[in-house]
Amino acid sequence: MTTIASMTNMRLKFPGAESLLFEDFSLSFDKGEKVLILGPSGSGKSTLLHVLTGLIPHAVEVPMKADALTIPESWGVLFQDPDSQFCMPYVDEEIAFVLENLQIPREKMKLYINHYLEQVGLEFADTHTKIQTLSGGMKQRLAIASVLALEPEVLCLDEPTAMLDPEGTKLVWDTIKSVGEEKTVVIVEHKIGQVVDFVDRVILLDENGTIIADGPKQTVFDQHSHVLVEQGIWYPGVWEDYMQENDRQMPSPINTAHVKPAVHLSDFSAFRGKVTALHVEEARAYPGEWVTVLGKNGGGKSTLLLAMMNLIKTRGTYHILGQDYKRIKHMAAYVSFVFQNPEYQFVTNSVYEEIAFSLHLAKWDQEAISQRVNQMMTIYHLEEHKHTHPYQLSMGQKRRLSVAASIVKEQPIILLDEPTFGQDAKNTFAILEQLEQLRAKGTTIIMVTHDLNIVNYFATKVWEIDHGKRVKESSALNYIETLQQAVNS
Amino acid sequence: MPMDFSYKETWLHKINPSLKLLVMVLIFIHLLLIHNTNILINYMIGMLVLYLFFTGHPWRRLLVISIPFLFIFLTSSTSMIFFGKGEITWAEWGLVHITEESFFRGLHLGFRGIIFAVLGIVFALTTRPVFLFYSLMQQLKLKPKYAYSFMAAIRLIPLMIEEMQTLHYALKVRGVQGEKGVRGFYNKLKSYSIPLLSQSIRRAYRIAVAMEAKRFSIPGNRTYFYRLGFSKFDVIFLCYLLVIIPLAYITANHFPYFSITDVRFGR
Repeated sequence: MTTIASMTNMRLKFPGAESLLFEDFSLSFDKGEKVLILGPSGSGKSTLLHVLTGLIPHAVEVPMKADALTIPESWGVLFQDPDSQFCMPYVDEEIAFVLENLQIPREKMKLYINHYLEQVGLEFADTHTKIQTLSGGMKQRLAIASVLALEPEVLCLDEPTAMLDPEGTKLVWDTIKSVGEEKTVVIVEHKIGQVVDFVDRVILLDENGTIIADGPKQTVFDQHSHVLVEQGIWYPGVWEDYMQENDRQMPSPINTAHVKPAVHLSDFSAFRGKVTALHVEEARAYPGEWVTVLGKNGGGKSTLLLAMMNLIKTRGTYHILGQDYKRIKHMAAYVSFVFQNPEYQFVTNSVYEEIAFSLHLAKWDQEAISQRVNQMMTIYHLEEHKHTHPYQLSMGQKRRLSVAASIVKEQPIILLDEPTFGQDAKNTFAILEQLEQLRAKGTTIIMVTHDLNIVNYFATKVWEIDHGKRVKESSALNYIETLQQAVNS
Repeated sequence: MPMDFSYKETWLHKINPSLKLLVMVLIFIHLLLIHNTNILINYMIGMLVLYLFFTGHPWRRLLVISIPFLFIFLTSSTSMIFFGKGEITWAEWGLVHITEESFFRGLHLGFRGIIFAVLGIVFALTTRPVFLFYSLMQQLKLKPKYAYSFMAAIRLIPLMIEEMQTLHYALKVRGVQGEKGVRGFYNKLKSYSIPLLSQSIRRAYRIAVAMEAKRFSIPGNRTYFYRLGFSKFDVIFLCYLLVIIPLAYITANHFPYFSITDVRFGR
């Protein structure tokens, strides 16, 4: 086996950080290996890829030293965010950008562009298509095509599907597997279900950037399974383990015979501009129910939540606890809303103020506010960060804060737009547990998600949106059963 | 929300963007040297023809865009009409003092403002930024470093617009009420600009790393996907101007609208 990339005693420190991120770190990769690097967020996985490819220190100036460093002759990196790795507006121009960098003659470019698009399975009637109009999965495959244009020996993947829905995730991994067959592939991921068959070596890092384990995947998984749990890694079977460990009961269907619905929609339409974006024939959600809203991307799931919050133009019947929505002056008194990106919701400069914000608006007295906020900070494990600016929190903390700040007034209905998106397993379970506690107390939860595990283990009801035009209501149990039957037949 | 901004391609689109830019700059300078309103009006008609008939954009859009033109015309001309110096008084109310000289000077300024606006918009409507920067690199030797940075930045604009919409909803949900006055404006500015900036800075950093990962900084001669040269359309454009501008002077001399030929005070 020939070594294709290696580093010996590498040390690296980010300016302003208290300690070294890597200290005397040594690692080497052989030609043709498929390697998976696992570790908690902040353990320097992405930084490691940057060092491996020479992006650090050549493009990103970070103080770094190593006794020996071998950078592969040709490499390509696929990044996480589909929206921030392109610099041109059109598909053909984006791949041409790479070809220009490599000084490929202009006459040959069209040929190359079609060749690489074909390799990743993208077909366009005209390659001069706006990147903006593509789905996330297509954007990532385009990104793979432009990486392939570099003809790399080593392919580095930095959580390439963290921001994609299940369908896009599958397509992107299928593409990677087919184009990566002959190459050396280094993958950073925390959802390993899709990649576990593809890789043969696993490297496990701890939060200090030291290697805990490095070896064939089976050995590492067998000897370090507890580490996977501690680090919140999405390994196959994580849901079953979680359910078993916590001895959670499946939620039972609610007897709704004598209860008034918390939300009742009937012949209800939502508009985007002048176009009907969504129509709901009939849908109900009762106190103590957990409704998951399922459907394809762009099908109108988020539109439904915006409409229920009365943020866009709507028409039809919509009752909240028996009241007509048009008569409700402050929607926020009944319904709270948690957005997908927590940062957009932050309006103050500290965690404490953030949670207290709605209470100040509601004119609570200082004593009561302080008591309630402290209580919330304890429940959501944010006490230590009382005076921290919301932007300086970690991903998981931001998410928890946004939920805490939204539900502080204990509104009877909570709407959530993919709150577990991009979170690791640990954070996801933490959020779901807190929501479950609220549900048990009688709160109605309405949540947009792609994760069928949530439907299976937490939800009581499913609203399925079919291309914006129809909402089908079924119990979570029935939905899962129908799905399984469809798979079996 | 996807924005429809389709248009038909016309000969104005096919002019070399660097040439178009340079010519426009020259016209701007030339305009500053014209003091005869009669010439300016003819000049304006010549440029309006380009705007109204050759940009390839639908009528409705052109009409909407022209609303600010009228605003520019009204503001720049009225302030001069009301407060400018002059000797032949037409009307006087307190501070407002309208004279014949100030009236014509006001009109003159208004027309000049309109021509500036029309030319700017014609340029913007008929030039794809990507072609402009390719042309600047090829004809005017702009460094690729700057050209591609701009192109990448332009890509971020629609993303920012979308983010602003989400931010607007999020603030509304949190119950952030618009306070009045300077303080309210300051708070509003802060609550929008900080999240947008933080997101954009992060994005810009990631794009920069991604560009480097695609070997943007390899030294040596780049090849270009688009080759921008000169064509008959550049000749047509230059000929159009070479006919219209002298024509503006000639008709102004022979068929003047007003008897005043220099609007500057004291001449």
